[in-house]
This record gives sequence, C-alpha cells and structure tokens, in this order.
Amino acid sequence: MAEGRIAGRRDTLRFRAVTTSSRLPRKALDRSLPVWVAAALVLLFLMALPLGWLVRVSVSQEGGGATLAHYRAVLADPALRRALGNTLVLAFWVGLASIAIGAPLAWLTARTDLPGKGLLRALVLASFVTPPFLGAFAWVMLAGPNAGLLNTLWRKSTGLDAPLVDIFTMSGLVFVVTLYTFPYVYIMLVNTLALIASDLEEAAAILGAGRLGVALTVTLPLVLPALVSGFILAVLQALALFGSPAILALPAGFHTITTQIWSFFHYPPKIEQAAAFSLPLLLATALLLLVQRRVLGRRGYAAVGGKGGQRRTIALGAWRWPALAAGLAVMACSIVLPYGILAKAALSRAWAQPLTWSNLTLANFTFTFVDYGATQAAIVNTLELGVATATVGAVLVALLAYVATRRLVVGHQAVAFLALAPIVIPGVVLAVALFIAYTRPPFVLYGTLAILFVAYLTKELPTGYAQSDATFRGIPAELEDAGRILGAGRLRILRDVTAPLARSGIIAAWCFIFIGVIRELSASIILFTPATRVMSVVIFDLKEEGQFGAIAVLGLTMLALTFATVALMQRVLGRDMLGARE
Amino acid sequence: MPGVTLKELSKRYGDVGAVQGLSLGVEPGELLALLGPSGCGKTTTLRLVAGFLTPEAGEIWVGERCLSSPAAVVPPERRRMAMIFQSYALWPHMTVAQNVAYGLRFKSGLARAGREARVREMLRVVQLAGYESRYPGELSGGQQQRVAVARALVVEPEILLLDEPLSNLDANLREEMRFEIRRLHEAFAITTLYVTHDQAEAMVISDRIAVLERGRVVQVGAADEIFLRPRTRFVAEFIGRTNVIEGVAESTDALARGGLRLRVAGGLSPGAPAVVSIRPHDIALAPAGASPAGPAPNALRGIVKRASFLGDSVDYQVAIAETDLVLRVVTAAGRRFAAGDAVALTIAPAACVTLGAEGPA
Repeated sequence: MAEGRIAGRRDTLRFRAVTTSSRLPRKALDRSLPVWVAAALVLLFLMALPLGWLVRVSVSQEGGGATLAHYRAVLADPALRRALGNTLVLAFWVGLASIAIGAPLAWLTARTDLPGKGLLRALVLASFVTPPFLGAFAWVMLAGPNAGLLNTLWRKSTGLDAPLVDIFTMSGLVFVVTLYTFPYVYIMLVNTLALIASDLEEAAAILGAGRLGVALTVTLPLVLPALVSGFILAVLQALALFGSPAILALPAGFHTITTQIWSFFHYPPKIEQAAAFSLPLLLATALLLLVQRRVLGRRGYAAVGGKGGQRRTIALGAWRWPALAAGLAVMACSIVLPYGILAKAALSRAWAQPLTWSNLTLANFTFTFVDYGATQAAIVNTLELGVATATVGAVLVALLAYVATRRLVVGHQAVAFLALAPIVIPGVVLAVALFIAYTRPPFVLYGTLAILFVAYLTKELPTGYAQSDATFRGIPAELEDAGRILGAGRLRILRDVTAPLARSGIIAAWCFIFIGVIRELSASIILFTPATRVMSVVIFDLKEEGQFGAIAVLGLTMLALTFATVALMQRVLGRDMLGARE
Repeated sequence: MPGVTLKELSKRYGDVGAVQGLSLGVEPGELLALLGPSGCGKTTTLRLVAGFLTPEAGEIWVGERCLSSPAAVVPPERRRMAMIFQSYALWPHMTVAQNVAYGLRFKSGLARAGREARVREMLRVVQLAGYESRYPGELSGGQQQRVAVARALVVEPEILLLDEPLSNLDANLREEMRFEIRRLHEAFAITTLYVTHDQAEAMVISDRIAVLERGRVVQVGAADEIFLRPRTRFVAEFIGRTNVIEGVAESTDALARGGLRLRVAGGLSPGAPAVVSIRPHDIALAPAGASPAGPAPNALRGIVKRASFLGDSVDYQVAIAETDLVLRVVTAAGRRFAAGDAVALTIAPAACVTLGAEGPA
C-alpha cells in the first residue's frame, strides 16, 4: 500500500518555491542544528546502520577480510537461480495482469456512465487494504486441488475426478497476487484520468479524429506515464511480497526470492547468503523506482489544467451491463468469495463441509480469543506496535514535512529525500538488515518488540511522509505569514493556525501507518521471536497446524481493524483514500 | 506616524537577483505604489519590508528603527506592520470576527470587551456588520477582501503592506475596491506600500508611484508626472500606450530619423542617439492638404492603415510617408478617417518627450 500512495503523490513531491525565507541567514544554521542531529540519528538507526551491516555481512569471510564468495555461492546455486527466475516470471505477469484489470476498471469508473461505479470503487478500495496473504489463504480454501470449495462443487456437479483449478501453481499465484495488486494501477490511472479535461479529447475530435483515433492519439499518450508507472508499482509489489508465495508457491514446490531469503533463516541459518541474496533485490527495487520516477517526472505535460476543463461522461450504451458484470466478477474473486469463505470457515467446525446447523459453531472464536494463548498475546503485541508506530510515525513525519515544506533548515530537500528513501527497501530485505544489525552489540534489540517497531517505522515512513507532505503543502505559507505580521511568533502560529488546519491530515497519516503495521508480515516473519509474535505471524503459524477456523477468525479481526481505521480516515479527510479529487 | 526608507536593498534567489540595490523613501502617511511587470521584484521588496526575507545587502528603516540589515532582521511579529495578501490569507477555521480579532491578542492593554468593540467598529467601517460569525468560505470574494482589510487595519499598524490585493476580484468589483481602499487610506492615513502590476490601479490609489524594472526603481513620482514625463522608454511604454521614435539628435531640440525631422521638447545632446516618446492622443489628424492651424513645426504626412472605432475615441495606425514608421494615433470620435485615407499629422514639440538611457534613475 505504501508504494501506491507515494506514487500517486510523487508529482506533488517536487519542490515548489515556498515563499518563506528561501535563503537562510547564517544564524539559521544554529537553529537547524538540533533538527539535523535528530534527523541524522533517526535515519542512522532506521537505515544507515542496518543497510551498512547488510552490505558488510554479505562480503564478510571467516577470519576477516572481504570476499565475494557469498555472491558467487548464491548465483551458482541452481535452486537459487530458479527462485530468481520464478520471481521475475511472477512479477512480470502480475504487472501485465494488473494493467489488464486495473486500467479498464479505472476508465470505466472514471469516465463512463457505468452503473454501480460507487460500489466498484468501494470494492477496489477494499481489495487495496486487504492483506494479500489473507487473500491467499482464502484462495487455498476456494481452489485448493483437493478440498477447495470450487473444486468440490465442480466434482459434485460434473462427476469428474480432476479438479477444475489448482491454486498451487505459478498461474494460481499470479492470479491471487494480481487480485490484490491491480489497485495500484487503478489508483494511478483513475487519478490521471480525473485530471484530463474532455476538452483535450474534444479538441482532437473537432479536428476530425474518430472515437478510436482520439483514444489512441490523445487519451492513451496522456495516460501512458501513469500506466507505465502503475505497471512498475505492481511489479515492485510482486517482487517484495512474501506471504502469498509462501502460502501458494512453497506447497507447489517452488521458491521466490523472498521465500528463499526467509528459508536461509531456518536451521542452520545462512545469514551471509541471505544478505548476498537480498542486495540484488534491493538494487532492482531502487532501479525500478528510479525509472518510475523519471516516467512520472515527465508527466508535466499530462498534468492537464486541473480546473477549467470539464469531464464529460462517455455513454456505454448496450455495453453498460456486460461491463458492470465483468467488473463485479473481478471484485467477486478479490473480495466477495475470499471474505465469504473466511466467514464460513470462522463459523463452521469443518470449513470444507456445507454450512449446516450441525456444522455451525462459535468454537473457533473461543479457541482464538480464549483458549489459544498465542493469539491473545499476538493481538496485544500488534495493537501496541500499531499504536506506537503510528503515533511516533505521525508526529515524526509531521515534523519532517513541516520543516521541509516551510524550508526551515539548510538542506531541507535532503529531509524529504531521506524520509522517502526507505521505499526502496523490500520488507524481507529490511528484516535481514535489521536482524544483522540488532542481534549484536552495541544494540541488541532482537527478541524485543523494539526491533519490530524499528522495522515498521522504517517501512511506513515514506507513506506517512507523503501524506504529511501533501497536508502541509495544502496549507499556504501565506496563512502563517498573515499571523506573523500581526504579531504572533512562529510557535504561536503553529498552535493557532498550522496545527488546526493540519489536524485531519495528521490523523490520516496516523491511519495509513496503523493499517500498514497491523498487516505487516514480510519483515515480521524474520524478526519475531516466540515472545514477540504479532497477528500476521500467528496466522502464518496456524497454517502449519491446519487451523483454518482460527486463521479465519484472526483474519476477520484484522480486516475489522483495518476497515474501522479506513472509516476513521475517510471521515477526517472527507473523501475516500484512493485519492481522486472529485 | 513614521515613514519607510529602503537603502541599497539587494536580494537574490539562486543566480537571479530579484532586488538589486533598490533605494526608496516612503513619506509618513503616504500611500506609495510599487508598480512593475511580473518578475520586477516588487513582491520580494514587500516581503523584505515585512521581514519575511533577509536582505543580502542594504537596510530597511522605519522612522528611527533599523528593521532589516544582512546582519539582523526584526521578525515580522515585532515590526508593528500589517499586510494584506493577494490570496487574502484568511484563516478558514476561524470566523470573520475571530480573523479580525486575531491581531488584537498581541496588543497589550486591551480588555476583551475593548477588543470586541474594536472588531465590531472595524467591520462596520468595511461594511460587514452582521457577518461576525460567518466563516471565510461562506463569503464572496469581495467580502473576503473586506475581512482582510479589516484584519489589517484593526491593529492600527504603523505601516500597511498590500500585495496585489485586488487581482483576484472581477473587473467591476476591482474598480469599486480601488476607491474603497483610497477612502480608507484617507480616513486612517497609515504609511502604505502597495504592490501592483496594474497602472490604472496605481494611478487611482496612490499618492506616488515607484516604477520597478529588474529589481531597481527606475522612476518615482506622482501619477501625472510619470505619465507626462517618463524618464525611460520602459516607463513610457509601461504606463499607458506610446509611440517611441529612435533617431539621432541634430540639435538640443531636434531629432532626425532618415528623412524625418522632429522638433522636441529639448534636452538632447547633439550628435548622440536619441529616443522620444509621443502619446497617441497628442497627435492631431487632418485631411491631407488641409493647412495647419497656426505655426506647426512638426507636420507629417501619412496614410491610415487601420482605424478602430472605440466608442468615445478612434484608434488609428498611420504609416508616415517616406519613413518606415507606423504611429499610433487616438482622436476624439468626431471626425473619422478610413483605412487608405491620406492624412496630415501635427505634433506639438512639447508632446515629444525625450527619454533617457535604459536603466535605473
């Protein structure tokens, strides 16, 4: 989710001339010093130290000195090469499939008279915030080759023995990952389409271009950057994902990079190889984000005159209902069927059996919340970490964004850059780096909630920062200047003007971070210890024990928490979190 | 009531010098307009005076106090100024009354009741009585403008700064508010700096106008002085329309350009290149062959290229015979010529104003 928000906002992140003191007098250096010391320390703990250790360990050899042996080892191993290949295949197809689903859906909901647009948009939002690993679990119950609900129904109705679908395959994995990744493409595109005034298209039409001609010569080039950018985001998402491959690829007998890195931590741990395998993933992510940035950076010509142009609705005619049916079919796969099977599993003794009176039970709830000790502790840990990370994070990003947008310190551009930098670190890689850095003196954090806190804070910093940056940009500096010239000092203005106007934006940042934390799996799975388990990790563990009822109950709890937070955020923002300006 | 003095003020943005050695004095109680095209440094100058920016060189004095120098800048909140912004900068989360009352919080010796009375009185002055509990978002542009004026005046500032305050209003309202601001200035007589790019606005509102070009003051004076005796080509062309003729000085009061010879007001140095400005309405038109009434040293012949009827006047473009000049001529609508008509032009030497070299005065 982080990446989606950031990308949507990336065009706003370029620095605009803010009118307040652009060049600072020498004295401002003293004033900015504490800010810099604090920011440097924070970033040292969050990024420099872990990544430094990651690189160092990847080239370390016993008895000292540097070596490339670990890189050679991981690249020479055919199993690891296969994992690499699998990841590329997965990422590429997820990217394409996300475009295939996200782009038409965006166009339909943004520009046509499709009925039920509000419903579709709400369902896309739901799929955006659904933890992908929950979707993967649900699809195991829906389309597992033996007991999967769809296959059982298929056998019953046809009498055939072979299953209809097998989710434990590469195509099954691509399918499930795409269901929760296409919203990235959708968001990029819907927000771009909302900015393209119909005049531009009509200007082409009046010059004699046909409907297809207009689409190909005007609309498509205008949305192409958003399309490419959405593709890259979807690819990045698939590259960094751990949960779905672990649930679907491992039983199918293949690895991806992330599951492979995770398995390096199994006994006997091969930390050096994990580090050596992590760095290429990190570099690939950084490179792709750079490309995406450049693609979007040229978007100036597509950021089309926001206000004047109206957007006229395109009539679909006879295609209205088939288009709606197609959209709903996608959303059924993404939301309705998975949520349904989770609810069924939560309420039944045996999830694969029909939902009859005798199969109906609340035992899963009592098991999860009362009998099974691990879940209660995990829920408490998750909430503690969620509240702590969101609170510290929201305050931190608010300060950083305020300092950067108001140009309060020398080198304020660097503040923004550093706050956004963690976006290039996939969760698993971050976890490997933190594991290495904080299992040794002087900072032994491994085994405490603190290491998870650091991981979550780092991971969510860019999301929160993008939100905060937009908030403070939305408050013109003139509003602060107007108070100062009337006699209020900077701190007084912060209290009387800036804080009240920024409040809802800061709450929204809090919500973004909180949602990100409670669903986090890929870093947690490497950093947890028995005393510091969180909900996502327990869900993952329960799979090993085959406790699908408890998985469903915990999963629904997580979804309930998520949607409550989403509702809170939409309330304070007064719009939905997909971010289109309506 | 102190005045404001700017001494050799400079401010750069990166490589661009927004303000370059600007000097200017505002008399106590005077309303002075800073007039210039966008990018001339007028808003930067205003923000320097307000204390939002620190100059790289130069000083700003208000009365006997030095408020800005490269070494020290008194922060905006301690300058006893008020400012009206282009965007009005009203706080959307405060009511009209709260917006207006805000500056009074920082004035000592005012009880709550006293503040409320001052706010009510000020809202009455700007004709917004009864709007106290509205929010800015519920007001029209003109009403928001009045709230901004009230908020600035209620604190009784020593200096009032206005940054293009009328540019967000529609044309009719803008004209009305010009007179309104002039009325308020006459009532309160606060020393005022008024930034605008609209010459008509500057002429209606201000006591004096300072014309800015590329970060420098090129001419300061009353509206008629600047219009009638522009010092440079830039000023002549920026304030109203004009014809600019370049040539060589034949004597102190004659300019030659090819076959054309013009008697001018004077002030030329013989042999040097010279430039004069002639306002379109200072040129008289008559049918070709008509004998000039009285002595007319500058009698030219030409052909009307284009005539535009503007209601109360006619705007001509006249190609001058035996030259490459096309002059703009505006006459009363009484006598009309059509395109292609041959005409005789007469220009009084006093109307040919000699322009100085480009650059600061």
